[in-house]
Amino acid sequence: MKKQVLSLFIVLLASSMLFTACTSNESKPSASSAPSAAANSNAGTANSTAQTNTSAAVSTKVTDLGTGIIQASDPSKLPESAKKRNDTFIAGLTEPSGAFTPHFHQSGYDGNVASVLFAPLVTVDENGKIVPYLADKWEISKDQLTYKFHLNKDLKFSDGSPLTAEDVAFTLTILHDKNYDGGTDIFASHIKGGLAYKEGKATSVAGIKVIDPQTIQIETDEVNATALLTLGGQVLSKAYYGKDYKFGSLEYIRELHAKPVGAGPYKLDKHLPGQELRFTANEHFFKGKPKIERFIYKTTEGDAFQFIETGEQDYAAFSATQDNLDKLQKLGFLNLKLNTSSAYGYISINHKKPYFKDKKLRQALIYGLDRKTIVEGVSQGSAQVANIPTSPTSWSYTEEGINPYHYDAEKAKTLLDEAGWKEGSDGIREKDGQKLVIRYLSSKSKGSDALIAIAKENYSAIGIQFEPEQFADFNALLAKVDGGDYDLASFSTPMLLDPHSGVSGFTTEEAKGYSNPKVDQLIKEGISTLDIEKRKEVYKKLYQELNEDPPYIFYSYSKLLYAYNSRIKGLDPNPYRGIATSLPLTSIE
Amino acid sequence: MSTYVIRRIIYMLLTLLGASMLIFFLYALTPGDYVDNNMNMTEQRKAELREIYGFNKPLVERYTAWLGNVLEGDFGYSLQHQKPIMTLFNHYIWNSFLLAAASTFLTWFIAVVAGVLCAYKSHSIFDKSVTIFIFAAMSIPSFFIGLFFIKLFAVDAGILPPGGMITTGSNAEGWAYIIEVAEHMILPVLIVTLLGTGSLTRYFRSHMLEAMKQDYVRTARAKGLKERIVLYRHALRNAMLPAITLIGFELPTLFGGSIVIEKIFNWPGIGQLYMQSFTMRDYPLLMGFTMLIAILTVIGTFISDLLYRLADPRVRL
Repeated sequence: MKKQVLSLFIVLLASSMLFTACTSNESKPSASSAPSAAANSNAGTANSTAQTNTSAAVSTKVTDLGTGIIQASDPSKLPESAKKRNDTFIAGLTEPSGAFTPHFHQSGYDGNVASVLFAPLVTVDENGKIVPYLADKWEISKDQLTYKFHLNKDLKFSDGSPLTAEDVAFTLTILHDKNYDGGTDIFASHIKGGLAYKEGKATSVAGIKVIDPQTIQIETDEVNATALLTLGGQVLSKAYYGKDYKFGSLEYIRELHAKPVGAGPYKLDKHLPGQELRFTANEHFFKGKPKIERFIYKTTEGDAFQFIETGEQDYAAFSATQDNLDKLQKLGFLNLKLNTSSAYGYISINHKKPYFKDKKLRQALIYGLDRKTIVEGVSQGSAQVANIPTSPTSWSYTEEGINPYHYDAEKAKTLLDEAGWKEGSDGIREKDGQKLVIRYLSSKSKGSDALIAIAKENYSAIGIQFEPEQFADFNALLAKVDGGDYDLASFSTPMLLDPHSGVSGFTTEEAKGYSNPKVDQLIKEGISTLDIEKRKEVYKKLYQELNEDPPYIFYSYSKLLYAYNSRIKGLDPNPYRGIATSLPLTSIE
Repeated sequence: MSTYVIRRIIYMLLTLLGASMLIFFLYALTPGDYVDNNMNMTEQRKAELREIYGFNKPLVERYTAWLGNVLEGDFGYSLQHQKPIMTLFNHYIWNSFLLAAASTFLTWFIAVVAGVLCAYKSHSIFDKSVTIFIFAAMSIPSFFIGLFFIKLFAVDAGILPPGGMITTGSNAEGWAYIIEVAEHMILPVLIVTLLGTGSLTRYFRSHMLEAMKQDYVRTARAKGLKERIVLYRHALRNAMLPAITLIGFELPTLFGGSIVIEKIFNWPGIGQLYMQSFTMRDYPLLMGFTMLIAILTVIGTFISDLLYRLADPRVRL
């Protein structure tokens, strides 16, 4: 019997060892970003393998870099192995999960793979503005409820079959299925008859009409500025993915995840799990067959630097620290491009706590925290302080009328006094017998270690007791936040394609305690028109209001350094689509 | 003997049942589930997904459903990968096995030889220098020495590949493929061996010292047998007995993968897969993998018990 006990013990020991190993790994992702949220975001990004290393020579400062491409200083240093590879472009990617059907994948990295294999009707440029792709143009009715897409005439899937409006209709329909579990939220677009289809009351979605093979019309019930991107998403072949489709049963599609057929620039040749994904140029691509015959995503879990350095990999994204910049520049044969992420980091405030009703306390917490030192100092320039919920890369970004909340302990003290928090005998402020104790939650990372160290000092200087707690595991952190026993918690948004995604959580319905009628009104207005100039005005007002009555402590925009081998010409990675949009235009010298 | 085996097998099944229950509840009760990963999802959509995946059912019902499927040989689909668990294992586990088998073999081989020599020449300069080297090697963290060796051999010297299992984009087949994989194995195997040999060498050294003090070794020497035969046939065989227990424990390590080494060397093993699935709370995959380790552990101990019987007549029933 003893041995049985022993073996059970060993099983437990083995699993606990795996747990701890897990824990130590969780701390890798950089800054205050939430790793899983980013990994699960739907849109295609380049991988961000955060790195830390040391190096000596300083040439350029990260803060001095513009958004342009910094050309390689000495392309002759190119390693032999890269020179020999004249028909293959190798990019790095964090291991995807292997489900390459768009709308159905569960990991953001599958989204990167899908963005090479599939093509959407519309896409976004580097400022987040919508531009045509498979659709030559689109029309939106006066009441902004009806969309009409005109497809390019020569569209074909990689198997040579034509891509028509029927395929678009099928894609939009299948997303309404009651058992659909992917990340595309089609119901936010309010297509007419969508709910009836989901509930099984109709056999088709009434609002989707195929007018002719190149034209599709979609009627919606409500104006929504994010609908154009959703409706104009990646297209699935009806003949291939819809062959066995019956309402309510989507299991069959799993069998097709590993054998994708799309209209993107490349087609999948081979997937070696844990190693690489090989693609060949798609001769049916509507912009013409890409010039580079072979493309490879090399999947790396850890450090990509060694592969870039030896020339085994042509492209990778690094967190934009000074160390990384120095190291990459020293190699000489890399072109570099600095990009600010479209996401933002924030410290959420628990509005269920009654004392946060007073915005002066919230403002005091922002004034009293030296965000610049933490964000820009500790991250070595790979992040900048955020004051509004949209990225500087977005068309909606503005600094007009925005209070930057520069660190000001005196101002914070005044605000606290005004809010009725008076200093007690032990130096901690109190109000109505309650001490001002702030419980802060975050994941365990280098960035949050720094924040905690500085925040503790900052806040005790203005009479606030700061009690931090860190979690090695992201889901555990979320569960704790859901439990409601906290004041502040650090998070990061996933990639934000439309500015609405950055503010949708601040409505009275979603914000769990935060309520500002003006904000509610402006958020609604922000998506109730498709005119980008009008939206700009609305968002400016909204950001000013959120700046004055902060729902969160807006924290940081992180920056990535894209590095690629200088023999690759024409590559222009952007913060919204990574390398996907410029990939078909590249060539090798 | 056969009743013993049958009794042991019944115990094993009970142990596994208990382990599966424990592991299932442990995972299910860990805060946060698969749906929580996406922060941008509305509460309503989360509830819908929990319904689709069955997370809203009572724990016991979820467990029995899972157990029922497993008894029918169906470990289910990974939520994240959308593939059957067994297909996923098949993709990754053999890569881990390759690495582990090579390094385990080397570790044991070196440890036995070094252990015996150290015991035979105990407290000599050789023994001391081996001990110092071993402790030095054991105390270096694997990620440090891993990265250091990559820098040294792959980046600066350029004689070994910096990671992965094959050169990216390589189409090598047959012998060329085997040589390529072997080249990529050198660094990771070297490091695992370097770190693992130490404790085993000490283990064999002390058991060997013990055995050499026994009467039967003195008798063998008195018979005039050659020293080599005394050492390897009489002393070593007895010193090896407790090691049989260790062999059983090696079985799960062979298939379990190494998270750190696989990450540093970008080796496509199962350790990485497990890591991801834990952060994502991919329950079917987590359960499948942990149960696999549990099964291997139980089988490992069983085999070592049987081997012990074969090797040592004193414990035979």
